[in-house]
Amino acid sequence: MLVTWRYRPRNTLMSRFDPRARWIFSLAFLFATTIFWDARFLLFFFVLGFVWYFSGGAPWVDVRRGWMLVGVLLFVMIVVNTIITGGGAGGVVPPGGNLVWPGGLQLPFRLGLWHPGLTYERLWFAICQVLRIGGISAVFLVIPFTMDPRLYGVTFRGLGLPDRFAYSMELAFRYVPTLAREFETTVDAQRARGYEVERLQGGIIRQILNVAPLIVPITMNSILMGEDVANAMDLRCFGQRRRTWLYQLKFHWQDYALVTLGVLMLVGGIVVSAVFHIGGFWVPGFWLRMAGR
Amino acid sequence: MEKKSLWKFGTREVVYAAIGAALYAVLAVATNFLQIPSAGNVSFRPAVAIPMFFGVVFGPIVGFVAGFIGNIISDLISGYGFWFWWDLGNGLMGLIPGLIALSIISYRSSRSILKAELFVIIGVLVGMALASVSEMWVSGADIHTVIFGNFLPAVIPNLINGLILVPILMVAYDAIVKRSGR
Repeated sequence: MLVTWRYRPRNTLMSRFDPRARWIFSLAFLFATTIFWDARFLLFFFVLGFVWYFSGGAPWVDVRRGWMLVGVLLFVMIVVNTIITGGGAGGVVPPGGNLVWPGGLQLPFRLGLWHPGLTYERLWFAICQVLRIGGISAVFLVIPFTMDPRLYGVTFRGLGLPDRFAYSMELAFRYVPTLAREFETTVDAQRARGYEVERLQGGIIRQILNVAPLIVPITMNSILMGEDVANAMDLRCFGQRRRTWLYQLKFHWQDYALVTLGVLMLVGGIVVSAVFHIGGFWVPGFWLRMAGR
Repeated sequence: MEKKSLWKFGTREVVYAAIGAALYAVLAVATNFLQIPSAGNVSFRPAVAIPMFFGVVFGPIVGFVAGFIGNIISDLISGYGFWFWWDLGNGLMGLIPGLIALSIISYRSSRSILKAELFVIIGVLVGMALASVSEMWVSGADIHTVIFGNFLPAVIPNLINGLILVPILMVAYDAIVKRSGR
């Protein structure tokens, strides 16, 4: 089983930023976006999110799977829940509103009239949801393809995570290819004993039980291996003093600028919302005119 | 003799957390072929038993790291991006069963297995509830969407996987413990 990271080094605008600055900006973006339900603010964050996304240069063939997942989530949340069933709106849209189909919809095959609860306000809310989820997804979806996995440990150490946790993260990345090879060896060994991986029969519980001969050996072998690794680390005085890292990260002017932008975005959003009470759900006039209002 | 602490995160715990995370990621990708019969895009993930098991055996912090980082790595490999609240939910699925780590003497006794099963149930419910409820805050979904669109499709497969596989792993680990005198 070949396990490869999706990251490729690219000479893009995003690659010039320190990973710590990128994480701070991304998290500030997330929290700032979730303050607002006003489409004008959400449009700003949507555009900013996609400018950031395109600055990473991640090719479509790599990210399409992630976008498909976002698409499925959006479909369930918006199309099924908000539009078809008339639910959704998360307590943001005031009750009532202007029905899109006030007279109901005639169903085929003489099934009678269906009165969907969809209003123009909920429809506008669905658009706001697309802007919000789209912007946040763009900022976070691009991370695995544009951030070097070798830097995760030192990045989170730099963000304040204790040495042991950061090193645990780095060690986890290091062990993925090793355990993938171990898994392949286990599959081959079980196959030699007549275990057919490709043809798991039965219901879902039987299938899960049939996966146990793959999971149990590799788990137990990994635990035994871990004992040796822990002893080796102890012999090298792991944890006795502050750890140094192979890769060094250094902030440059653009990183300070990015962090400042993120902080201003977040603080500004909090001030605008909490002090001036701006940014709540708002339906534009032209949209309501479609409802005849 | 040094008194054991439930929240200890020494060298051994660092290594097992890393192995748990890597194992969760590799097995999640490798066993992705299981699908719920006639349920479209929802896939079972037997690997979810790994952070639960590692929590039960090595403690809550190991369980949390195995679930949290393991889910991050799994999503990185699969190309799904980064979903913080779901990573946190997976971390809780490993942390909560870890709360009984010090109370287990024999990993194959019925009492220990039942205790582990109970905490697996609590861990799955709490972890997936947190991850699902986050959708209300992030994307404005209402409670019905969250329950039927996120919570139940996540809880049911995770419960089934955890309740079936964690006892099997505990019994296998008990044999290793006895054989090597740990």
